[in-house]
Amino acid sequence: MTAASKIAAAPVAQDKLRALGIMALNGMFDEMDALGVLRQAATELLAGDIAIVSSFGADSAVLLHLVAQVDPSMPVFFLETGKHFPETLAYVETLKRQLGLINVTALHPDPADLARFDPDGTLWETDPDSCCHIRKTEPLEPITEQFGGWVTGRKRFQTRERGVLPHFELTSDDRIKINPLAYFSDADVNAYKAEHGLPEHPLYAVGYKSIGCAPCTSIVAEGEDPRAGRWRGLNKKECGIHFDFNGAIAKPMAATAELKLFKDGAFTADPFRAWAEGDDPASVRYTHVPLPEFLAARDAFLANPHPLGLLVSSGDKVENVEGDLSRFASIAVRFPAFTDGRGYSTGRLLSERLGYGGELRAVGDVLQDQIPLMRRCGFNAFVVEHEPTRKALREGRLPEVSIFYQPVGTTEVPLGTRPYLRRAAPATR
Amino acid sequence: MYRYDEFDAAFVRERTAQFSDQVNRRLTGELNEDQFRPLRLMNGLYLQLHAYMLRVAVPYGTLSGRQMRKLAHIARTYDRGYGHFTTRQNIQFNWPRLKDVPEILAELASVEMHAIQTSGNCIRNVTTDQFAGAAADEIIDPRPVAEIIRQWSSLHPEFSYLPRKFKIAITGAPADRAAIRFHDIGLQAATNAAGDVGWEVWVGGGLGRTPMIGKMINGFVPNEHLLAYLESILRVYNRYGRRDNKYKARIKILVHEEGLETIKAQVEAEFSEVRGGVLTLPQEELDRIGSYFAPPSFEDLPATPIDIARETILDPAYGRWLDNNIFSHYRPGYASVTISLKPIGGAPGDATDAQMEAVADLAERYSFDELRVSHEQNLVLPHVRVADLRAVYDGLVEAGLAEGNAGLITDMIACPGLDFCALANARSIPIAQAISHKFAAPERQAEIGDLKIKISGCINACGHHHVGHIGILGVEKKGTELYQITLGGDGTEHASVGKILGPGFVADAVPDAIERLVDVYLGRRETPDEPFIATVRRLGDAPFKEALYGTT
Repeated sequence: MTAASKIAAAPVAQDKLRALGIMALNGMFDEMDALGVLRQAATELLAGDIAIVSSFGADSAVLLHLVAQVDPSMPVFFLETGKHFPETLAYVETLKRQLGLINVTALHPDPADLARFDPDGTLWETDPDSCCHIRKTEPLEPITEQFGGWVTGRKRFQTRERGVLPHFELTSDDRIKINPLAYFSDADVNAYKAEHGLPEHPLYAVGYKSIGCAPCTSIVAEGEDPRAGRWRGLNKKECGIHFDFNGAIAKPMAATAELKLFKDGAFTADPFRAWAEGDDPASVRYTHVPLPEFLAARDAFLANPHPLGLLVSSGDKVENVEGDLSRFASIAVRFPAFTDGRGYSTGRLLSERLGYGGELRAVGDVLQDQIPLMRRCGFNAFVVEHEPTRKALREGRLPEVSIFYQPVGTTEVPLGTRPYLRRAAPATR
Repeated sequence: MYRYDEFDAAFVRERTAQFSDQVNRRLTGELNEDQFRPLRLMNGLYLQLHAYMLRVAVPYGTLSGRQMRKLAHIARTYDRGYGHFTTRQNIQFNWPRLKDVPEILAELASVEMHAIQTSGNCIRNVTTDQFAGAAADEIIDPRPVAEIIRQWSSLHPEFSYLPRKFKIAITGAPADRAAIRFHDIGLQAATNAAGDVGWEVWVGGGLGRTPMIGKMINGFVPNEHLLAYLESILRVYNRYGRRDNKYKARIKILVHEEGLETIKAQVEAEFSEVRGGVLTLPQEELDRIGSYFAPPSFEDLPATPIDIARETILDPAYGRWLDNNIFSHYRPGYASVTISLKPIGGAPGDATDAQMEAVADLAERYSFDELRVSHEQNLVLPHVRVADLRAVYDGLVEAGLAEGNAGLITDMIACPGLDFCALANARSIPIAQAISHKFAAPERQAEIGDLKIKISGCINACGHHHVGHIGILGVEKKGTELYQITLGGDGTEHASVGKILGPGFVADAVPDAIERLVDVYLGRRETPDEPFIATVRRLGDAPFKEALYGTT
């Protein structure tokens, strides 16, 4: 399908686009002509039908300055996620005043969503995708529909994923994204700021190069990718709003069909990732550290302030980390094949003898016929690759014998007339 | 005997539903054979040479008449009219169809039976002395403890995927009729200084490719701690048993490679953690289970001597049967009867549906509705009044089950061999049949006396050839079935593993070879009362080797 035929279906400004073609449009401007790009969009292509979402982050000032030059009344939306640095909120006011922006609107998350999905405000820690979803994607969605074009501050240099960013993009829902700063480098941004005397975000000077919500932003080292400080340690680079290069808004919560981690009765996003060669024991986070790696750099891991997990493979002795178990937010026990039953003993030792009470997940060859046994041995989370097993879990249809002949685990309850050997699963689990 | 209550019934019902679901998923293709195999094996369903084989558990070899009738019904309805009793006191059906298996399991459940853990790398059916609860030499009836172990091990979540299968045998008598020293764990009743009865625990015995005699790991474990001790052994095995090579995965290899002292230290360390915990067996529970195995309502009878000499004159076949197939009962006026499933020329351990029903009749009429399966593949009526022996015998004659050869040379153990088994290298049953014909003459068998021949069709040793006084092992060499002969094995408390005498024989030459060994024995025994195995121990291999291979 050519770009032109896509344009034909667009409900917004389609005539002009049909005439120009988005390819041609992208060829109309010099790489560094940010103002020309924005003016073309705001006054010709999408007059009155264009808006901007700004994070009011470290380099938002450049784009907002361009907007102010083209049209100070262009709608500017700020995602007031409730998790911003106080410095960011102050910076919003500074820029509004200094640039003369007269149409800035704060978008707040739905209180009902917060109450339901993030009652204690820690969703960012366990499931950052969903956190972004309820605090950014959901509030923005109804606004998105009101405009045919959106101005973004994305730049090619920011991350590898953005390396081919053009000035104009057609989104999969037939809108136009305008990226005036697509070709700006870090140095270009700084030069522009200096030239126009734009105020710095108060945190920029202390090392924050790309600023989002406070919990998910950290300081970027010299020479590091500026966005490396966003969701550091997580396998996450984009917040979900513009995740899809074609413009579709990612919906992590609707994507449960692909989720592998089954916990608390549902498939859920997995904040943890696997240990990778070269990971730094001092700074790695949300990673299942193999038990031998942990022992090899135990002091560094114990000094690491971030949430960590432990990976126990068949043959690893969990007794060797007995005193450190409380350090782990999650322990993954690997079943290399479902016929390898060592993990069952590991599960019981962890949960019954060593008193580990956190997330205990089975990983590897996890199939529906073994999950009931794993549960009895203390497992409360399962990473499931096998689709029929995922289906069985989704449908709550495990082939299970619900009464037991032997006392196992910490939650089973005595049953019937012979409480000595007879057990049943607890009412809820 | 043990009777299910609602809990037991619900457990088996749920397990049947669970397995039926697995069968259905296999039939619809949702499960592939690789995924289905371990699941069906957890429920005794094998894929043999020609068909599926379903192995049904007979817990510690105890059956009622009603249960035996149900087995007959299954043999008739779903199989080809017979079943095969095994060396682990179970029964196998050789020709069920996969789609019928859920129905068969439902039938079994209706008489409190199942196929749970009759195969797979889990704790298998606990076996015991076929004369348990009846034998005159018994210290304690092992069946209540066997039942408790059965329950504890049923679908044990930690021990369902062990490195390899795990077999436990238990005996309450000093004379070991359950081959406990050739099991992964063997339990033998023992008495401590205070006079309490507990268990000697033997570990690491087994047959197969690497026969090992078990080693005593603990001389006295009291009842209350037995399950904790077993769980300790199983946990050490589950964690440290080899999984890299299925032929080195049994606990006997772990014990052998690590040494008994190392394993014992690990087990004791584990035991010190779990001892006194939830697995402590309350005496009330033992008493409650024990009450199911209370002696039946025996009559007070005078001791009734059996005049075998007189009976032999009147009816030689009956005399032979009395001489060989009767075992002393602890109650005066009663006896235990071995029903031989080794007719001359028959397949060892097979019984037809009609025979099963006949045996059920006899059990109901003459043995307080109790039956046993022996590990030597015979059936037992444990509690028969001496006064009823003739009636029982006549009933057995009618059913074609009156062979008076228990313990004699024709009372062989043989595995199914290449006629049925996918693992076998050679046939077993035809060899047993040929030997049986060779020694068919009752006088000859009587002259030879106690002699255990055990035949396996491959090195997995299901026919227990290692512990045969004479063992026969089928191997395949260059496309030919050859049979190696071992000598001097013994599965009892005098445990020993037979030694290979020399190169193998072709099938046709095996009966003659056995005869030459028997002739050496008959010619060299010190008295007619010296049994074969004693002569072998006294003389060593040499004269037997010479008889087979000549002077070298």
